[in-house]
Parts: sequence; C-alpha cells; structure tokens
Amino acid sequence: ASNGPVWRNTPRVCEDYWSEFRHCKSFWNRFHHYYAFGAAPSCQQWKEDYNNCVEWEKNRSATEALQTSERKRVAEQTKFTPLWKLRQGPPKDWHLPLNHGKPEDS
Amino acid sequence: QPSPKQEEDYGYDLFPERNAPKKYKKGSIGESLFTFSHKCQVMLQFAMETSPYAKLLLSAMKSSGCKVFKDRHFSCEDCDGTVSGGFDAASSQIVLCQNNIHQQAHMNRVVTHELIHAFDHCRAHVDWFSNLRHLACSEIRAANLSGDCAFQNEAARFNFGLEKHHQECVRGRALRSILAVRNIGREEAAKIVDEVFDTCFNDHAPFGRIPHGKKDAKFACRDYENRDRYYANI
Repeated sequence: ASNGPVWRNTPRVCEDYWSEFRHCKSFWNRFHHYYAFGAAPSCQQWKEDYNNCVEWEKNRSATEALQTSERKRVAEQTKFTPLWKLRQGPPKDWHLPLNHGKPEDS
Repeated sequence: QPSPKQEEDYGYDLFPERNAPKKYKKGSIGESLFTFSHKCQVMLQFAMETSPYAKLLLSAMKSSGCKVFKDRHFSCEDCDGTVSGGFDAASSQIVLCQNNIHQQAHMNRVVTHELIHAFDHCRAHVDWFSNLRHLACSEIRAANLSGDCAFQNEAARFNFGLEKHHQECVRGRALRSILAVRNIGREEAAKIVDEVFDTCFNDHAPFGRIPHGKKDAKFACRDYENRDRYYANI
C-alpha cells in the first residue's frame, strides 16, 4: 500500500488460523497430542484468533487481542534458557572443501 | 589419523570409512555393483526435495549462512552394526549408512535427524566433543523433532505405550545415541539426559512446534516462510 494510512497486516493470513484450528481438532492431532503430553490439545484459541483476524481485516479492530495471543505463543516457544551460546555467524569451516587429497600420516 | 582409542572415544569406529580410504573408488563400477551407494544417493535426493521436515531445516540453515550442498555435506557410506547415520562436526558432514537404510521413510527420518544436529552446529557453539550436556541436548532435540518417536515408528519397534510415551521414547533414544558414541556408563549418561531434558525437549527450533507428522511439518514450513510478516505484525 503506497497511499493513505498504512494498516498493518495480520500476523498470518486468516485462512491459516482456520486451517490450524481444523488441524488441531482432527483425530490424529488429538491422538498425537495425547501420546506426547498425556492431555487433549486446546484448540479454542485458534478459532478466536481466526475471528479476530477477520475483524482486523474488515474493521481494523481486534488487533490487540490477536497480537496478544501471538505474543503468548512466541513466549511459549522461548520459555527456556538455551544450554549453548548462539553463534553470530556460521562455523568458519562449513564451506571449506573436504581434504580428500590429504597425504597419509605414518 | 586419530589413534584407535580416539576413534572409539568419539564413535568414529562405527563409521569405518570416515578416516580410511573407501573400499571402492567413488563413482566406480565396483561401487555401484557392490554397495548401496546409488540407492542411497537417490533416496537422499528424494528426501531433500519432498520431505517437509528436511526442506524446512535446509531453508533455516541457508538463512543462517550454512547452505547445504548435497555432495559436500552428505556422504553415503557403509557403517558398522545397525547405526543409520551420524553428524561429523569435524568435517561438517552428515553420514548416511547406505547399508542400513533401505526404505525412503527411514531415509527421510535419518536425514531430518542428522540435519537437526547440523542445524544446531550451524546456529550455536555446540561443543560436540567435550560437553556431554551439549551432545545430549542435540540428541534429545533430534529424537523429539524428527519423527523418530512418532507413535507409528515406536509401534513398529514393538514399543507400545500411549500417554506421554513420546517423552519416554525421546529420553530412551537420546540415551542410546550417547552410549553409542561415547565411552561412559549408562547411569552417568541417564543423569546427563535428565539434567538437560526439560530445556532441550522444549527447544523446537526451527519448527516452532513438535511436528507429529507431515501436516505439522508442512504448517511449520508455512510459518517459517511467513516469518518476516509474522514478526513485523505482532
């Protein structure tokens, strides 16, 4: 968008929220969730997010509710302290050629 | 050439072709007739092109500056015992055990599992050789996120269990992987796995979720492709 007020995009395309909701409620997902966590998944948030997404696109409202929900998801994924120090760049030898022609040491 | 003791200390004895000349010259007729090299290459290519797990990891690694080149970063070799693959941090190569991987689904899982190690190597200072907690962490992540512990794979191993069996499986496989490549006692290894389990079980990078199957992996791929828009708008 170049003219007029710049509206923010929804974090995800609204159909993505709906497909996540459907997938969450599917038999296999519920089965695997129980297998992994011993409890049923909670899917209602995806449905709420879908409704808020549609609101956002139609009336530019409900932006805060959807953003809060997504920030909570991000927090869920980062709620641990990593064991290792993250790199600033890739390992220096990642792209180095292999030493196929290396002479044998005796 | 590492000494025989060093080889055993780091599990290199499972991969006899790593530090010794290959039995059949690469590309030779002997190689195609007497090894599974060609089949391994074909299955690897298919995995890289079609598995959503592998595609996401390759994409994430490329973004981190570790673009993966099939001929440089993968090596199909004959291995000892029943091991399916390994990640050699010293050469930045993933080893695929061509004599032990015979089905595409298995290849997909091994490629995913080893790419998770490569991904960890790429994004973090993982001390593979002297820090057992780091090793355990990457093994927990690989068992958790590669589908190694999916219900159908465990059932095929006759490991039946339902509630939270996934977590038991992850613990068990991480333990086995450590014991296979390091000379330490089972109790000590189990203690290390326990210490780091919660942290590492909850680290789902780059998937953002535990992918229980292809659909989860596809959604994870979709999220990854969409990440710029996502983070700009929350």
